[in-house]
Amino acid sequence: MENKVSYALYILQEPVQYLALSFMALMYAIKISQLLKKPFPPERAELKGDRVSGALHSLTNVLRPWDMESTSKHLYFYTEFMIFHVAVALTIGSTFLIPLAPQVMTPTVTAVFMLFMAAAFLIGLRRIYRRLTVPEIRIISTPDDYFAITLMTVFFGVGVVTMWLWIQGRPETGWMWLFFLMTTFFLIYVPFSKISHYVLYPFGRVNFGMIFGGRGILNRQNRNVTWDPK
Amino acid sequence: MQEAAERAAEKLGAPEERKWPLKPEFTPEMLAEMERLLPEKLKNRVVATSLAGCIHCGMCSDTCHYSVSIPEDKTLVPAYKADRFRKWYKSRFDWMGRIFPSFVGAQPLTKELAEDMFDKLFGGCTMCRRCTYNCPMGVDYGMMVRAARSMMQKVGRCPQNLQDTVDTHYNHGNNMAVPQDEFVETIEWIEEELQDEEGCEDFTIPIDKQGATYFLTLNPREPKYYPLTIQATAKILNAAGVDFTISSRYWDLTNYALFNGNDEDARLFSLWQVEDVKRLQCEYLLSGECGHGYRALRWELPNWVGGAPFKITSVMELMAKLIQDGKLNIDKSVHADKRVTYHDSCNIARSGGILEEPRIVIRAAADDFVEMEHNREKSYCCGGGGGALAMSEFSKRRIAAGRIKAEEIRATGANIVLQSCHNCTDQLKEIIEHHGIDAKVMNLAELVAEALVV
Repeated sequence: MENKVSYALYILQEPVQYLALSFMALMYAIKISQLLKKPFPPERAELKGDRVSGALHSLTNVLRPWDMESTSKHLYFYTEFMIFHVAVALTIGSTFLIPLAPQVMTPTVTAVFMLFMAAAFLIGLRRIYRRLTVPEIRIISTPDDYFAITLMTVFFGVGVVTMWLWIQGRPETGWMWLFFLMTTFFLIYVPFSKISHYVLYPFGRVNFGMIFGGRGILNRQNRNVTWDPK
Repeated sequence: MQEAAERAAEKLGAPEERKWPLKPEFTPEMLAEMERLLPEKLKNRVVATSLAGCIHCGMCSDTCHYSVSIPEDKTLVPAYKADRFRKWYKSRFDWMGRIFPSFVGAQPLTKELAEDMFDKLFGGCTMCRRCTYNCPMGVDYGMMVRAARSMMQKVGRCPQNLQDTVDTHYNHGNNMAVPQDEFVETIEWIEEELQDEEGCEDFTIPIDKQGATYFLTLNPREPKYYPLTIQATAKILNAAGVDFTISSRYWDLTNYALFNGNDEDARLFSLWQVEDVKRLQCEYLLSGECGHGYRALRWELPNWVGGAPFKITSVMELMAKLIQDGKLNIDKSVHADKRVTYHDSCNIARSGGILEEPRIVIRAAADDFVEMEHNREKSYCCGGGGGALAMSEFSKRRIAAGRIKAEEIRATGANIVLQSCHNCTDQLKEIIEHHGIDAKVMNLAELVAEALVV
């Protein structure tokens, strides 16, 4: 596939994206450095487990839905979550691939991207409905929560149409403009929104894994071990 | 006699007595002081990440014993409760919250918000960390709630009985103001009772024995109300030939400052304990059966005082080890007509890492052991943790929050509910009675001691 576009769209797809991406990276760098400056609570107790393997175990628990009751009890919700986040990765990936490596976006590859985007679009609609109708979710929801999920859902919807037109050999359409304008907005907006939770995710998971791994609760190898007493 | 007189004269606890000034409601001055304290709390990375990390996914909503047991009250969902604190945090430290506060649910600290925080974070959370284990983002609710409690307590807003318990510990060296001479007399009386048991004539409960291997600590409820627990523990230790002692000074393993969040007091109580173990030159500090006490000694004490020059373990772990090493002769048939289940105290299991040891002990002493549906680190809090037993203003909610645990106990069909924590003991007794369940609450040492062949 070729990405033959006007100079104006090229400006949006590349220099503008790079600028927005740089801005996002800067904001994230500030956020991360602020967190890294804060010390991790000390652990001077004699450990019963391993903090590093606990942290690794905790970081990868997203791949083990059976680990947490909240996911094992709600496997459908977990599956939605996985599809949604794979779609996020693919959609963002497409904004790089289209201008930088359009040959990768063959009709087959693009169709796979579309499939995930379409599924994520439907999941997004269901998540909006859930947030509006489930009382315990509604009570904790803020405008930011609604805005974030709506924005993502619309982004996936726009993505599906854009990819469909791309497959038809139409790289420059109003939808493509909208797709990249939304991407630009995302890159600038996300550091200030809850969507940036993926930056905090490793911190939260590592904190959890360090504490409870060190105490011998996570990743237990031997179920009969008692700690040290003579 | 002279020794007894010296003991009676010794002033334990802090040199000067105090009563922490509590206020019935938040005042503007208190709120201003809390504003000053907040940045200090955020220096802890776990607290800072936990405040920033919630995405309101709602995965915690059916993991908390409050929200599961009282489903009609949606304000008991963990994320909602934590948001009482998070709203304030966002209004000061979240980028978007400072520009468009209502967009992200940020809210400056007002009297109403602070009162809501008091209600939900003292009276609606036991810091059991069950939601933490179920949070995809790894938000540590326990540490975050403790930080919030800490600031409220500092400015004078803390449940009265909880603060009184800490003050009593501060003033007397144990949280029930048991005088030293009375404590020693109680232990001597328990020793006599123990020696009256068949085969236990030579058993002793050494007090202040220099160089003993284990420094056994107790929950003050034991000498006050449950002396049989001490007797049972002493019987097991004697039967296995364990070299132990009990101090006449700082024998109280509890540390309610873990619950009200006052780090200075927590550190002070820990220091007393450390100094006393050093005084008797014991190799191990041995926690008795007490949930938060175990956690405070085993996991928090070394951090509060900068390390411990001795090892720290628990009766639960030691009993398991003694059984594994064949040092206890147990006749299971004593419990042949009983079905037992075990409640994992949150501070022992989820926050303490003692998961299998109690089961080793139980299987050695009873044949008919049935696990509850949620067990080990997945166990529901009984509702008595986090200092809840010492918050009479929230008693009604505490009892209601025990419904899920009561249902799980009933489902096992057990007539003995075992546990290793005195707060759990009291809460389990209350909820069992409240829900009309025909079961007796016992701790592990009592189960084993009854079946010991000596």
